[in-house]
Amino acid sequence: MRSTSRRGEMSLAEPAALPVAASVPPRLHILTRVSSTLKASLPAYLLLAPSLVFLALFTYGAMGRVFVDALYARATPKAPVRFVGLDNINAVLADPAFAGAVINNLIYAVGTAIPSIALALLFALALSRTNAVTSALRAALFLPVLIPMVAASALFMFVFLPNVGLLDHYIGRLLPVLPNWLGDPDIALWAIMIITIWKNAGYYMLFFLAGLQSVPDDVMEAAHLDGASPWQRFRHIILPELKPTFLFVTVIATLNAVTQVDQVFVMTQGGPSNATNLVLFYVYQQAVEHYDIGKASAATLLTLAVLMTLTALSFRSLANREGGP
Amino acid sequence: MLLSRRLMLGLTMAGALAFPALAGEGPSEIDLFFPVPVDGKLARDMGTLIKEFNETHPDIKATAVYTGSYDDTLIKTRAAIKAGKPPAAVIMSANFLLDMQIENELTNLDSLIAADGATKAQFLGQFFPALHGNAVINRSVYGVPFHNSTPLLYINAEHAKEAGLDPDKPPQTWAEITDWAKKLTKRDGDKVTRWGIAIPCAYDYCGWMMETLTMSNGGRYYNEEFGGEVYYDTPSMLGALSWWNDLVAKHKVHAPGATPGPAVSTSFISGNASMMMLSTGSLTYVRDNAKFPYKVAFIPRNVRNAVPIGGASLIIPAGLEADKQKAAWTLIKWMTSPEKSGWWSRATGYFAPNMAAYKTPEMVEFLAKNPDAKTAVDQLEVAKPWFATYKTVPVRKTLEDEVMLVLNGKKQPKEALVAAQKAADELLKPYNAETALKLP
Repeated sequence: MRSTSRRGEMSLAEPAALPVAASVPPRLHILTRVSSTLKASLPAYLLLAPSLVFLALFTYGAMGRVFVDALYARATPKAPVRFVGLDNINAVLADPAFAGAVINNLIYAVGTAIPSIALALLFALALSRTNAVTSALRAALFLPVLIPMVAASALFMFVFLPNVGLLDHYIGRLLPVLPNWLGDPDIALWAIMIITIWKNAGYYMLFFLAGLQSVPDDVMEAAHLDGASPWQRFRHIILPELKPTFLFVTVIATLNAVTQVDQVFVMTQGGPSNATNLVLFYVYQQAVEHYDIGKASAATLLTLAVLMTLTALSFRSLANREGGP
Repeated sequence: MLLSRRLMLGLTMAGALAFPALAGEGPSEIDLFFPVPVDGKLARDMGTLIKEFNETHPDIKATAVYTGSYDDTLIKTRAAIKAGKPPAAVIMSANFLLDMQIENELTNLDSLIAADGATKAQFLGQFFPALHGNAVINRSVYGVPFHNSTPLLYINAEHAKEAGLDPDKPPQTWAEITDWAKKLTKRDGDKVTRWGIAIPCAYDYCGWMMETLTMSNGGRYYNEEFGGEVYYDTPSMLGALSWWNDLVAKHKVHAPGATPGPAVSTSFISGNASMMMLSTGSLTYVRDNAKFPYKVAFIPRNVRNAVPIGGASLIIPAGLEADKQKAAWTLIKWMTSPEKSGWWSRATGYFAPNMAAYKTPEMVEFLAKNPDAKTAVDQLEVAKPWFATYKTVPVRKTLEDEVMLVLNGKKQPKEALVAAQKAADELLKPYNAETALKLP
C-alpha cells in the first residue's frame, strides 16, 4: 500500500485495498463504513472527475435548466418572468401546432422505421457471406451513413427541385403533372422520409449483419439436412435469433425519428403549411421564432419523457429476454 | 503523491480551458457576429474587410464571427446576451430590430450619434430614405443599414424575343405581366414545358413577396408605426393573393405549390421559367450563371409602384461595456462609410445603403459596366420599410402557411386570409394588451 511512489505499482495496489475494506466487520458504525468505502473508491472517482464535471455541466446541467425553464413564463412582453407551474405544459398540449407535429412525427417514425429496417434486413441477408463482391456492395450501401445529414439534405434539394431537379427530369417524362416534391403539403413529408430511409438502411444493415453472425451454424445445418425450405429456415431459425437485434434497431430508429431530423431544418423549415413540422422543429420554433423559452422547454420535457419511457420499456424487455431461458 | 500531482495538473489545465480570456491586455477586443444569407464567398469577403479595419485601427481588435443564417444569427445573439457576453456588433436582419427593441435587447444609438456632434437627421441623411423605417423605432435610431435589397422582375430576353415581346419595354402593370406570362408559357398538350413566371414562396421569402404584391396593389402589410397590427384580411391583400392564385390556377402560367428562392433562380437559369420575381441580392448569381441575355425591371403595379426593402442592419446589443460600445460604434461607422459600403455592394449584389457610395469612382465605373445593378437603386424611389411587428417571424408564418395552401389549390384566397388574420391577431394579443389596449 505504501509503495505507490513507483509508477507501475499504482494499478496493482488499488485492487489490493478492496478486500481489506470488504473484510471490515459489518457491525462497524455506518459512517465509518461509508467513509472507508469512499476512501477505497476515491481514486476511481477522482479519475472520473473530469468526465463527471463535463457531463454534469453540459448534459445534466442543461437538462436541469430545461426543467426549471419549463416552469416559468411571462404574460406580456414587458412583464417579469414568473413561476407558472404546469401552465407551459398545458399550453403545449393545447397547441394544435404541437398536436400536428406529433401526428407528423408518428407518421414519420413508422414510415421510416419499417421500410428502413425491412431494407436493412434484406441487405444483410443478401450480403451475409463475405467475399469481394458483397464487401463492395456493403460499402456502397453503407456510404449514405458517412454523408452528414445536412450535406445529404443539400444534395436532395437538387434532386427534388421542381421541374428541373434530377427526379422530375426522369420521372417527369412519365407523369402528366410534375410533382412539387417539397412544395406540396401532401407529398413533402414523404419526400423527407425517403431521405431518412436512404440514409439509415445501410446503418441498420450493420446491426443485422452482426446479428446474423450469432445464428448457430449447426442448427442451420441440421435444418438443412432435415429438408427445411429457405423460408422455413428464415422464419423459424433466423428471425427468432434476430429478435434482440430487431428490438435494438427499432429503438434506435424511433429515437432517430425524433432527434435526427436535420433535413427538416435544411429543406422545408416544417413547411409547406406545417406539413413537415416534426416535434424537434416545433421546439426550435417555440424557442427561436416565438422566443418562448418556457413553452420550448415544456415541449422538450414532454418529448424527453416519451423517449425515455420508450427506451426503458424496450431495454427492460430486452433484458428479460436475455435473462430468460 | 503522483496521483495528486496529476490531479493538480488536470485541474490547472481545466482552469486554463475555462478562463482563457484572463490572459493579456491591449487593444479593446470586440466581436462582430455576421450571417451569410447568400453564397459562401461572403465569409471570405468579410474576413478581408475586418482585416483592413484592424490594420487601420490599432487600438481595436475586431473579430468577425460567422453565425449562419439570419435566423441563426438572431438565436446566437440572444444566447450571448442571456449569457451576459453580448457581441459588440451584429449584422441583423432589418426586420428583427423591432422585436429585439421590444425585448430590450438593443442599444439606443442616439447618444453615440450625438457624441459625434451630429444630429439624427444628419446621420440618417446619409442613407436612402426607404431604409429609415427599419432603422428608427419610436424616433430613436437602433440600427445602421448595411446591405439592402428590393425585389426585382427578371426577364429572359431570349424567350421574350421568341414570343414576339420586346425585352426593352418590360411589363409595367399586372395586366401586362399576365399577358407576357401567357405568351411565354409553352405547353405540350396539357403539360407545361416552360412556365411564364415564377414567384418564390418559402418561409421568409413568401411573406416578403406577399408584401411586394400587396404594396403594388396599393396596400400595406402592417402598421409601420406600431408593432401590434397586420393587415391580412384587406381588399389590397385579397387582390394580391387572388392574382397570384390566378396565375397558378386560372391562367396556368405559374407552377403550382410553394417554390423556394433557390428553386426559382435555378428554374430561371435553366430556362424553365421565363420570368421571375426575386431579390436584388440574387443579381450577382444570375449575372454569373445565366447563359442568355436577361433584363431586370421594376416590380409591375396594379394600383401603384411600391416594393418593400430587405437586407440587414448593424446593431449594438444591449448590456455592453462603454469601451466596447465605443469600439463597436467606430467599426459600424467605418463599415457603413461610402467606400466600404460600395465595396461590399459590388462583392455581394446587395445595394449600398449609403447614398454617397454611388458617387465613388469605383461605383460609377461598376454601374457603367453593369447597368442592371442600377435598376435596384432606381426602384428605391418607391421602396418602403420591411414588415416588422411584435414576434415578426411567427406573425409572418401565419400568413405564409395559408398562402402555401392557396398555391397548392387547397384553400380559396378569402378564407385563407381570414384564417391568417385570426392567427396573427392571436399572436399579437399580449403586445396589444400592454400597449394599445392598456387603458387608464
